Amino acid sequence: MKLKLFVFLFSAMMFGFFLIQPAQAHTPLCSCYDNGDGSVTCEGGFSDGSSAAGVQMRVEDSAGKVLLKGKMDDYSEFTFDKPAGDYKVTFDAGEGHEITVHGKEIF
Amino acid sequence: MNSRLLVALAGQPNCGKSTVFNALTGAKQHVANYPGVTVDKMSGWYKHGDTRVDVVDLPGTYSLTFYSPEERVSRDFILNEKPDVVVNVMDASNIKRCLYLTFQVMETETPMVLDLNMMDVADNRGVIINVDALTRILGVPVVATSMKQSRGKKELFNAIADTARKKSSLALFKVDYGPLEESISIIFDMIRQDPGDLKTYPARWLAIKLMEGDEEVKKLIKEKGGQGRQILNRVEDLRNQFEAEYDQDTALAVAQARYAAADKVAAGCLTLPTEKKKSMSDRIDAVVCHKFMGPLVLVGVIWLLYYLSIVQGYNLTNYTWPLLAKLRGFVAAIVPAPGFIDVPLISSFALWLIDSVNALLNYIPIFFILFGLIAVMEDSGYMPRMAFIMDRLFSRYGLHGQSTLPMVLGGIYVGGCAVPGVMSCKGIPDERSRLTTILIIPMLNCLAKVPLYVLLINIYFAAHKGLAMFFISTISFLMVLPVSKFLTTTVLKDKPTSPFVMEMPPYHLPTIRGVVGRAVERVWLFIKKITSIVVALAVVIFILLQFPGISPQRRAEFEARRDQAITKFRSSITQTPYAETLAGDKLMEMVLYWKNYKDKRMLTRSAEANAALNDEFKKINPQFFVIARPGKDEVAGKVNRSFKELFRTRKGLLLEMRKERINQSFLGKMGRALEPATQFAGFNWRINVALLSAFAAKESSVATLGALYEQNNDGGDGSLESRMAKEEEGFTPLHALALMMFMVLYPPCLATSIAVKLQSGSVKWMLFGMFYPMVLGVGVATFIFTGGTLLGLSGLQAMGVFYAIALCIAIATGFIKTKSEFEDARQMSIA
Amino acid sequence: MTLDELKPGNSGIIKKLSIRDKLGQRLMDMGLYPGLTLNVVRNAPLEDPLEVEIDGYFISLRHEEARFIEVENT
Repeated sequence: MKLKLFVFLFSAMMFGFFLIQPAQAHTPLCSCYDNGDGSVTCEGGFSDGSSAAGVQMRVEDSAGKVLLKGKMDDYSEFTFDKPAGDYKVTFDAGEGHEITVHGKEIF
Repeated sequence: MNSRLLVALAGQPNCGKSTVFNALTGAKQHVANYPGVTVDKMSGWYKHGDTRVDVVDLPGTYSLTFYSPEERVSRDFILNEKPDVVVNVMDASNIKRCLYLTFQVMETETPMVLDLNMMDVADNRGVIINVDALTRILGVPVVATSMKQSRGKKELFNAIADTARKKSSLALFKVDYGPLEESISIIFDMIRQDPGDLKTYPARWLAIKLMEGDEEVKKLIKEKGGQGRQILNRVEDLRNQFEAEYDQDTALAVAQARYAAADKVAAGCLTLPTEKKKSMSDRIDAVVCHKFMGPLVLVGVIWLLYYLSIVQGYNLTNYTWPLLAKLRGFVAAIVPAPGFIDVPLISSFALWLIDSVNALLNYIPIFFILFGLIAVMEDSGYMPRMAFIMDRLFSRYGLHGQSTLPMVLGGIYVGGCAVPGVMSCKGIPDERSRLTTILIIPMLNCLAKVPLYVLLINIYFAAHKGLAMFFISTISFLMVLPVSKFLTTTVLKDKPTSPFVMEMPPYHLPTIRGVVGRAVERVWLFIKKITSIVVALAVVIFILLQFPGISPQRRAEFEARRDQAITKFRSSITQTPYAETLAGDKLMEMVLYWKNYKDKRMLTRSAEANAALNDEFKKINPQFFVIARPGKDEVAGKVNRSFKELFRTRKGLLLEMRKERINQSFLGKMGRALEPATQFAGFNWRINVALLSAFAAKESSVATLGALYEQNNDGGDGSLESRMAKEEEGFTPLHALALMMFMVLYPPCLATSIAVKLQSGSVKWMLFGMFYPMVLGVGVATFIFTGGTLLGLSGLQAMGVFYAIALCIAIATGFIKTKSEFEDARQMSIA
Repeated sequence: MTLDELKPGNSGIIKKLSIRDKLGQRLMDMGLYPGLTLNVVRNAPLEDPLEVEIDGYFISLRHEEARFIEVENT
C-alpha cells in the first residue's frame, strides 16, 4: 500500500515536473508548394520539433477577405485549392506565432 | 617587491564600487560563491609592472556588523584572507556616511587606500573636498577618482602598489569612543594577554566588537580564546555598567561615536555648498513616487519590459533559429540514416538531445534582452522606487517591496518566465520574504502555459473568451497572495527577517558595458547550469519513452503495411521512365532526399534563397529533382503525386508507431497509473497520456490536445455543437477549467527548479518548491471539478464562483497580521 | 513625537532611538542617529513606507520602523 502511494506520488511529480517545458517558446515554421494540379500544400512546424497538427490556417485575398479557413492535419500539412489572383496563406499558432506566405512566393 | 598581491574592494552601496572593479580588472573577472551562503564572490585581476594583482570585490555594505551574511562575509575575508591592501571606495558627495564604514575597516588594521569616487557628481553639487587635508587627518592615502570617466585610475593603481610595498600604514586616525574607551582598554589588555589563539586578530577590533555585543565575535572568543569565558563575562559587566550609567545601548553609543568622529573629520576637509539645489533625482521622484503618477509610471515600465523582451525577443528568434537548425542538420547528417519505418536508436537519441538543447537555446535572445533590462533597472536606481511603491501591499502577504520586479518577470497578467524571475530574487534583502518570493514565482503566468489556456478557452469557453482570458490572467496573482501568506506563517515562519530601511540612491545612467556585461554573464550562467541538467534529464525521458517499445507482433503488422504501400507505389509507376530511377534502395534515397529538401525549404524566406536551394538540389541529383518538382512535366507530375502519397503514408506509419510506443512505454504506464487519482480532477488516462506524450514527444501540447479532439470528432467540421455533443466523451468546460487551474498551479519546469536551487542554496527548498504546488494543483483541480459537479455548476459558473472565493481569500488573508519582529522589542526606558 | 507621526514637508531633529539590536543597528548604519536633522519628503502611494532626506541623501523606511525614532518637530 505504501509502495503504491510512493509510486503514485513519484509519477505524479515526474508527470507535472516535466510537463511545462520551456519548450513552448518555439519559433514557428511554414513553407508552401504548388502541387501543379491546382492545389497548394503548406507544411508547418516549430523550431523544437513540435508538430503543427491542429494549427489554424487561413487563406485571404489581396484585400484581406478570408477565402477559406482550416487546420493543419495530423501530418502538419494543409492542402487547399489555389485561388485565382493574388492571395496569401497564414499559419496562425496564436500568441504572436504567425507566418504569412504570399501567393507569388509559392511555386 | 611581491610578484603577487591581493586587494579587496570595500565600500557602501551606490558608491560606484563595481565601476571601480570593472576599471581595475577589465574583462578578467569571474563570479563564484562564498561557501555556505548565497552571496556572490566577484574576483578579477590585473597586472601592474610585473606584479599580478588579484582583486576581490566585497559585497557593498553600510557597516561591518554580524547581522547580515554580506557583512559577515566581508569582514571574514578581510580578517582571514588578509589582503595586502583594502581599497575603500567612497561617494565623495556623502563622506560623512561613508566614513562610518571607513573607520570600521581601519579598525581591522589592514593597509588601506581611500578611493574618493564620483568626484564629478560632487563637483556638480558644489561639494568641495580638500583631499590633502583628508589624507593628513586620516593618515591614509586618498585618491580622488571619477571612475565612470576613468579619471584617477592611474593614481589608484599607483597608490595600491605603494601601500602594498610600504606595509607600514597604521599611523591611522582612531575613533574616540568617549566613556567607552576605558572599557575597551580593559578588554584590549585581556585579549592581548590571552594564552589562546587570538593573536591573529587585531585586539582593538575584537574589543570594540565585543562592546558592541557582536554575536559572531563572542563565538570567536569562546572558541579560540584561552580564557574566553572570563573575557565574555567581563564584557557583560562593563556593558551593563555603561548602560546603567549613561542610559544608552552600547552598540548605539559606539555607532554614535563614529558619526561624531566623522563630523570632526569632515569639518577639517569638507565644504558644503551654501545653496541647497533640488537634485535631478529628487525632481524625477516627484513624479515617479507620486500618489497617482507613480503607479502609472510603474505600469508603463512593466509594459515596456514585456514588450521589449518578449515581443522583440521573439522577433529575434526568427534570426537565431536558422543557426540552431543548421546545428540540428549537422547532427542529422552524421548519424545513421533512417529506413522506411525503422529509425536507428542512436539517431533518434541524438536528434532528441539536439532538439532538447535547441528548445532551450532558442530562449537565449529573450533572456538576453530580459537580463539586460533587469541590469538597466538595477543600475539606474529604479528598483528601490518599485519597492517603495509596492511594499505596503506585498509585505502584508509576507513578500517584500523588492519582490516587485521578480514577480513582474514571472508573469503578472501577461506571460513571463519564472527563470529570470527567480534569478532576480537575489536583491531581496530579507531572507524570509526572499524565500517566499522564490517559492511562489513559478505559480505566476508562465509564457509556456499560455497556448494551452488559449486552446482550452477557444474550445470550451469560446462564447466568453474575454472573461475567460481575464480570469486566467489574474487568477494566478490572486492565488499567489494567500499562498505566500500561508508559507510565511508556517513553513518559513522561523527564517530571519531584516529591517526594510533602504536607501533611495540618486538615479544613474547605466553604462552599456555594465548592462551588456551582466546580461552576458547571466545568460552564460543559464547555459552552464541549467541547460546541462535539462539535457541530462532529457536522456532519462528518452529512455522512459522508448522502452519497452512496440511488440514484435505489432511490428510485423507495421512492416506489412509498409510493404503494401511500397508495392502500390511501384505498380503505379511501372509504365514510366522513373521506375528505373527509383528501383530498389534508390526509393529510400528519394524519401530522404525529399525530406531533406523540405526541411531546408522551411528555413528559406526569400525568392532568391528558394532559387538557390533548388539549384543545390538539382545538382545533387537531377533526376530526383524532377520528381520532387515536376513543373509542367505531366508524367513526372503523376509520379510526384504518387510519391507524395507514399511519403504521407510513411509519415502516418511513423506517427502511429510513435504514439503506440509512447502508450506502451513507462511514461504511458504512468499516465494510466495516475488515472485513479486524476479522475477526480477530471482527467482520464487518455488525457494523462496525451499530456505526458505531449511534452515528452515534443508535440506542442496545444496541438496534441487539439488533435485529440479532432480525431474523435467524426461528424463535424469542428462546430461548437458537434464538440459539445461529445459530452459523452467526458470532457466538459468544467473539466477544462479544472485542467487550466491545474496548469496554473503545477510544479515549475525543470529549468525553474534548478534556478530555485541556485537562489535558495539548498536542494531541500527546490524539492519543496516542486512538491507543494503539486499538492495545491491537484487539490484545487479536484475541488473545482468535484465541487462543481456536485453543485451542478457549468464551467462558466464554476469559474465565477472560484474567482469570487479566491478574491475573498486573498483579501481576508491580507488582514491577518504577521508577527512583526518589533512587537516585543525591548524598549529603552525614557529618561 | 515619533517619526511615523511627522507629516511630509516637515523637518525634525532625531532625539533618540528607542530600539536596539538588528533594527536599531540598521537605523544607525543608514545614518539615522540622534542629533541629526531630517526632512520628511513623502509617503508612498499606498501610505507606507515613508521617505526622509538626511544630509543630501534619501532613505525610506516602514512606519512600523519609524515608530522607534523619537523626533522633535522643527
